[in-house]
Amino acid sequence: MKKVVVTGMGMISSLGLDLETNWANLISGKSGVKKITRFDTGDLSTQIAAEVSPEFEEFSRAYVKKRAASQMTRVTRMCLVAAKMAVTDSGIDFKNEDKTRCSVVIGVVNTGNSSVEKDTTTQNTVFKAMTNSMPAWISLEYQLQGPNFAVNTACASSAYAISMGCDLIRTNQADIVLVGGADSIINPEEIRGFNALYALSVANDPPEKASRPFSKDRDGFVIGEGAGVLVLESEPHALARKARIRAEIAGHALTSEGYNIMAPMGDGVGMARTMEAALRNSGVTPAEVGYINAHGTSTELNDRYETMAIKRVFGELARHVPVSSTKSMLGHTIGAAGAMEGIITVLSLQSGILPPTINYDNPDPDLDLDYIPNKAREKDIQAAISNSFGFGGHNATLVFKKYPT
Amino acid sequence: MARITENTKNEVREIVYSFFAEECEVDRSQINDNTNIIKDLDGDSLMFLELIEIFKKKYTLDIELKVIGKYAVKNPVATIGELIDMQLLIIEHEKRLLELEK
Repeated sequence: MKKVVVTGMGMISSLGLDLETNWANLISGKSGVKKITRFDTGDLSTQIAAEVSPEFEEFSRAYVKKRAASQMTRVTRMCLVAAKMAVTDSGIDFKNEDKTRCSVVIGVVNTGNSSVEKDTTTQNTVFKAMTNSMPAWISLEYQLQGPNFAVNTACASSAYAISMGCDLIRTNQADIVLVGGADSIINPEEIRGFNALYALSVANDPPEKASRPFSKDRDGFVIGEGAGVLVLESEPHALARKARIRAEIAGHALTSEGYNIMAPMGDGVGMARTMEAALRNSGVTPAEVGYINAHGTSTELNDRYETMAIKRVFGELARHVPVSSTKSMLGHTIGAAGAMEGIITVLSLQSGILPPTINYDNPDPDLDLDYIPNKAREKDIQAAISNSFGFGGHNATLVFKKYPT
Repeated sequence: MARITENTKNEVREIVYSFFAEECEVDRSQINDNTNIIKDLDGDSLMFLELIEIFKKKYTLDIELKVIGKYAVKNPVATIGELIDMQLLIIEHEKRLLELEK
């Protein structure tokens, strides 16, 4: 089975329109959460979110032609721009590649074709709503001809996409796979829906303090938006073109809880099973894991059960493994979260800097792991995992390893 | 059946050239009647439909899209010049467009 490596990454979020800015803000502990600006929130319980800067509109024009842009939602454009930045980062020139061996797998929960998309016309409604539009546009950009599809497993969608892309390479169906996700549910309809489930934070003031994973006073997740795309390659393919290898994807696990449409399985049993399976799949032992990028949504149940699951898997080691939730800064980007957090995990391995859990001012006494409180930490690590758990019981854990330079 | 005057021809040409320059983000001077819509301008088939809608409104044309579709299948257009000629035929013959093939 071929090793799978990461050779390119692109990211757009509330913390920046490129990878470098995102990373600088993440390790500075900056929050991207603000009052919502894209529509009037007067009658909503939740009035905050981690919005991508309005500057994206101008920024994206350098990447997406006007004609194509008119057929995409703002989120689809984010996905395409992130993909193009990832390809540039990888140094791949698709003119030199066998395009039948190049694939795209994108996690898509929805395309953001909501009431906030004011310029939707009858003629492009279908293109904007197609949930396969994001991988389709990426393949059109480079005329890629390998397997090309979207995967939807709620908040775990883009972690699933990374896993599926990894398996396409492992099973020799592709040499290069662009994987990732993009999402935005920052619209009145989705906010009302999640408010009805008591899933969202209503701590509107100050916005930047609302997302507080693992804290005693956490009161729900904060919506984020954005896109993250990674270029995966087989190791021999990357070495043959002398690519810069950012990290290895050592393995992954995808599981289903078969338990509840919203709540995770009690005591984190399903989450633990996913992490254990991923470590087995990757051949990495718990002792080798130097960092966990948690799903860490800032909801009562997720943070409690994820903590219990980590203890179940890591035993005595659990208190010594740094864990952080970057959702404390980026909010929960739903279908994009797995990809963004995968990217962050890779950057942690490369840089030896672990991003913090911000707003950790009031610890929950029941949750007693090392959550990298409030400040980034320097630590050279050899392996790290990233968790994603979705409504409906869709779980994914990705295992990354440092690649020797 | 509308009479096609020089003025109509000039109007149609102006609209088509402006439309492609705007949508494809190319300088108008780079477009001529021999310009291939797909290969040279990276255009798409939907542009043809959008132009038809523009001309249907402008000239209050009585023609269904499916009639134009049937005609276009047998008489495909590739260049700007061919597209202008077809638009003029549509304006001239409207719903009797298919009778041209008899």
